[in-house]
Amino acid sequence: MARMVQRDEAALEALYDRYAGLLSSVLNRILRDTQAAEEILQDIFFQLWRTASQFDASRGCLPGWLMVIARNRAISRLRHHNPAAGEELFENTLVLLPMSLESAITQKELMGRVKVAMEALPKEQRAAVELAYFEGLTHSEIAERTGDPLGTVKTRLRTALETLKRAMHP
Amino acid sequence: MNGHPTREQDFDLYALGALEGDEKAAIGNHVATCASCAEKLADARGRLALLALAAPAVAPSPSVRARLMNQVRSEKQGGALAPAVSLVPETTGGIFGRWWAAVLVPVGFALALASFVLWTQNRRLDQQLAVLHEDMQREQQQLQSAREVADLINARDTVIVPLAAQPGMPKGSAHVMYNAKMGMLMYEGQLEPNPANKSYQLWIVPTQGNPISAGVFNAASTETDHFLMKLPPGIAPKAFAVTLEPAGGRPAPTGPMVLVGAAS
Repeated sequence: MARMVQRDEAALEALYDRYAGLLSSVLNRILRDTQAAEEILQDIFFQLWRTASQFDASRGCLPGWLMVIARNRAISRLRHHNPAAGEELFENTLVLLPMSLESAITQKELMGRVKVAMEALPKEQRAAVELAYFEGLTHSEIAERTGDPLGTVKTRLRTALETLKRAMHP
Repeated sequence: MNGHPTREQDFDLYALGALEGDEKAAIGNHVATCASCAEKLADARGRLALLALAAPAVAPSPSVRARLMNQVRSEKQGGALAPAVSLVPETTGGIFGRWWAAVLVPVGFALALASFVLWTQNRRLDQQLAVLHEDMQREQQQLQSAREVADLINARDTVIVPLAAQPGMPKGSAHVMYNAKMGMLMYEGQLEPNPANKSYQLWIVPTQGNPISAGVFNAASTETDHFLMKLPPGIAPKAFAVTLEPAGGRPAPTGPMVLVGAAS
């Protein structure tokens, strides 16, 4: 990021090469629209370039920020919420990733753990997590979508998150 | 909410965006004034961010990277377009003694000039076309590579093998991601820079037969080296190793083993 602040294009290219695949995957999963996903992907990295000096490493790690921002932007787009004009990339949001995601191989290892953990969840719990994470639905929206009682949805989601936490960070 | 959230999952649910109404407002208001809970929320955001990894890998088109870098370059230039350069040089008129010369000479000159301009434009368009063709081919190759990496990452039978430094050898570490069925291998590691007259060489040691070269590389000083290799499909690996070889590599290992890792 220090090189980005110095307006070093190669630094942006290196960050893009490292994280664009991750962001592209989540953007495509949420939007199911390659063109929209690519627009947001380009926009995120362009804003990263323009506002690199505002990034405060003490407030979180870059890949965590990028993944949170990518999800938020995609869900806003999906739900037709237009982000406010001039929205800052480094919103006042602290994100602490439990591990480094700098290398493609670490990403692959972690991807395997997350997928296994998700697949091990009971079907209804997995569906609740996917509706919340990839579609941005709230408790009551999930209940409405699935036809399950609100209390059941809350319990499912809470239990699923606890199981995922234990599985991904034993 | 006057106190701290009572359950750890409250932070997860808030970060996930599943909470609504009073529940959401209570946590939002509380973390705005409580540093320890703000940190718990940051941890929750990080944990949940990892759920993104459950999404199937989709490599972006290389054109996104190209568009991004064009956008960056335009922004660096202040968004101003370069002043248009006229292809037609300015000409000054002359005085001719005869009327036809006064007509034909400028017409002839204009035609010659127009021909020259068209020829120049045609040549320039040919050159632009050649550049675009090269760009397109390069983008297609990048897209192909990106898809291959995504396939390698997504495949369930891809194995990841850590390679450890050997005693007395240059310090470093690496990982190999390998899929025998696809015949695809990705190396990623950091090693001390190799001497100028030497190269590092990666080998796949099959369960049967001699080691097979899987890439020759030179280590940069601080950067992580990574490369993708295509190998004949179906090689069952016993181990992977990196040796120090004469510059350019050798068909079979001759130098000391720097890194090694067993495949199982």
